[in-house]
Amino acid sequence: MQLTQKSRETVDACRFCWMCRHICPIGNATGQERNTSRARALALSMVVRNVEDLREVIDNVYECSLCGACTRECATGWDPVQFTLEVRLQGALEGIMPEYIAKLVDRIEKKGNVFGKSQIDAELAKAIKSQSKESETLLFLGGNALYKSPKTALAAIELLKKAKIDFTVLADEPNSGSDLYFLAGAADETAEQMKKTAETLNAYKTVVVYDPHDAKVFLREYKEWKCGLKAKVKTFTSFIADLIKDGHLKPKKGSDTFTFQDPPALARDLEETAPARKILAACGKVKDFMLNGKDTVLAGDLLMNEYMPDVMALVAKNRWDQARAESVKTVITACPSEYVLLKQNKPKDIEIMSIEEAVLKCL
Amino acid sequence: MNDFLFGMILSELEDAVGRENCSTQAIDRFTHSVDYFWLSRVFADRGQRMPEADFVVSPKDAKETSAILKIANYYKIPVTAWGGGGGTQGGALPVCGGIVLDTKRMNKIHDVNTDSMYIECGTGAIYKHIEWAANEKGYATMHYPSSLTCSTVGGFLAHRGIGVVSTKYGKIDDMVLKMEVVLPNGDIIETSPAPKHAAGPDLNQIFIGSEGTLGIITKAQMRIYNQPEERRFRGFLFKNMTEAFQAGKELLQKIKPSVMRLYDEAETGSIIKKIVGVEKKGAFMNVAIEGLAEIVAIEEKILLSTFAKYGAEDLGSEYGEKWWKEKITFFYPGHALDLPWMFGTMDTIAPFDKIEKIYWEMKKAIESNFPMARFIAHFSHWYEWGCMIYDRFIVENPPQDPMEALRLHNQIWNCGVRTAIANGGVVNDHHGVGIKLGRLMKEQYGPAMQVFEGLKKQLDPNGIMNPFKLGL
Repeated sequence: MQLTQKSRETVDACRFCWMCRHICPIGNATGQERNTSRARALALSMVVRNVEDLREVIDNVYECSLCGACTRECATGWDPVQFTLEVRLQGALEGIMPEYIAKLVDRIEKKGNVFGKSQIDAELAKAIKSQSKESETLLFLGGNALYKSPKTALAAIELLKKAKIDFTVLADEPNSGSDLYFLAGAADETAEQMKKTAETLNAYKTVVVYDPHDAKVFLREYKEWKCGLKAKVKTFTSFIADLIKDGHLKPKKGSDTFTFQDPPALARDLEETAPARKILAACGKVKDFMLNGKDTVLAGDLLMNEYMPDVMALVAKNRWDQARAESVKTVITACPSEYVLLKQNKPKDIEIMSIEEAVLKCL
Repeated sequence: MNDFLFGMILSELEDAVGRENCSTQAIDRFTHSVDYFWLSRVFADRGQRMPEADFVVSPKDAKETSAILKIANYYKIPVTAWGGGGGTQGGALPVCGGIVLDTKRMNKIHDVNTDSMYIECGTGAIYKHIEWAANEKGYATMHYPSSLTCSTVGGFLAHRGIGVVSTKYGKIDDMVLKMEVVLPNGDIIETSPAPKHAAGPDLNQIFIGSEGTLGIITKAQMRIYNQPEERRFRGFLFKNMTEAFQAGKELLQKIKPSVMRLYDEAETGSIIKKIVGVEKKGAFMNVAIEGLAEIVAIEEKILLSTFAKYGAEDLGSEYGEKWWKEKITFFYPGHALDLPWMFGTMDTIAPFDKIEKIYWEMKKAIESNFPMARFIAHFSHWYEWGCMIYDRFIVENPPQDPMEALRLHNQIWNCGVRTAIANGGVVNDHHGVGIKLGRLMKEQYGPAMQVFEGLKKQLDPNGIMNPFKLGL
């Protein structure tokens, strides 16, 4: 198995260390020892030593959400996400990807999305068509919103309309490459997809990215791999916060209390935590989760939901349990994945809204 | 075991816990074959496989645990409980194969009871999670070991764990009110409704520290405490350890600090110098006092005047605060003792009249018999009557061959622990016994060992529960 020197060192550092166990959303959901950075590293260290066959432990590599909580927790600075991604690439190169993962890759190649869908919600399609006029600003919705969260995607479009800005939404939006990156790491196919998407995005001055998973690759991997993205990329939350600041949106501050569910890709990978709170502070009171900001806990992932739905339900349920323990009234999301999975597993006594829905309610 | 019988047992276990919670996969068997025990780590490092379980099962509660133990008893299959796997004594290693019973699905927090100040939870809960549950209500568990984020409530109970504020709040066995235990025959029992009683011996204390040899603890009520209004640190430098012990003993007859840690000259000049920044020679001692601010102010005066009598140099609060901030950092890879070194912590405990002698005798025994070994120590859990030594040996160039390493490792341990016992110490203070020290239990207890053996024989006549651990 080919691993970079850094990943080999990380595997050997993590293989006997459990210090990040408590923060892993998957391990906390399943209660399985294998869902720890330590177990993954230990198994891979044995593959490196030719004692274990990668085929025997490959499934475990896809049971990680790459949320980065373990990396954030490590006082020494080891990064288990890095070696996990490298082994996913290895799985793709060696042709030993599990069948259920290969199926998802196939869907991306054939249908352009991980869900294998050909059509989106009719109302959303209509709203997108109404924004087909070319402008300088592109609203990039992403596959999760297009195929799984049409309601919040519609709210996002509605909110930008209320701000009276010119923006475009593409009827044939390309895939950002974030799904392929998640499944196969830094494969040539991932980079090719990203370069192609960059060409489309470069027709715009600004790209407002609705899904933090897409924003993360646009702002990190596209740069790292020199995909030629020239358009200015803004996360949806930072864009909305600016619209409020500049007076384009004027929400009326109410008495509701909001608790923001920081998406890990936004809070940890992009280090963006303030804009969402500024938006919510303009709409009402803000009360944080105990584990918030960079210490946030993943509340669900739609891609993993395609092959681990039971675990994703438990992940969402665990976050709801924390919300209940902290007497949270309304959870606010800024990520279609978390919105859909939290909504699917919602308890009766706590409310959930996407951040755009919360703002629309106050206009 | 033939394939047919294996399949039959597997289907029974799946029936008990659900197919998704019963595994024979390589990843599950393998990851439960290496814990924090140095020998299991060195075997894995050298590319050698440790003994693996045949089945890894994860029950969700006492009922499912009971079903597993009934199956295991019928087929006479060994059962080894696994919590977090963070134990250093090999207590969770399935050395005879059979079933590993992973407790982590039993992680429910049933009640944060602020009327009676306890949390009732499944023993598979990670201790940090119950700390969070307490924090959410404004309280704290006051159990802060280095393994707080790694280990389960059950793991701490099974090995009699301890945290850094033990002098004020006690050890894990002081923090438990009541437990639910599944006996080896599958019966589910509860210990007494309250821990302080005269209704016979304390059932809690029979199962705490039993390391899964007498049953599986599945639920527990763990105490919670008020958050202190104030926590103040003070660092001191003593000329020698004798004066530090005298000062510590006198202080403990007057007040109860939360943290008391005394470092020998070797550790003061190495780890404390490196991490905390104390450059001076002597024996460094870190003390924390906490609670209501008014009382803390008075206790601080008592602390300063008591230690001044013994010539301690007051180093102020900076070092102690730094230590508190970094107290867990010491145990991350890159900071903690790690391979390729061989190392071990021979923690033992004794009354004040014996503890210093034990330290010097162990140091002499290790350094004279094993010139390749370094010996460092600190004294980190104190009581009114005595304290414990956290003494460590380090061999920087151990044998490459794992069996040769095992031989040297066990020789050093035998030497150190036998010296402790000969001078009034015990086999272990707070890491437990496991397979690492089982052979030395009879040497400490002598004929008293028959009490443990009697319990074992009565409760586990087929000897299925965690065989070869605890010397049972």
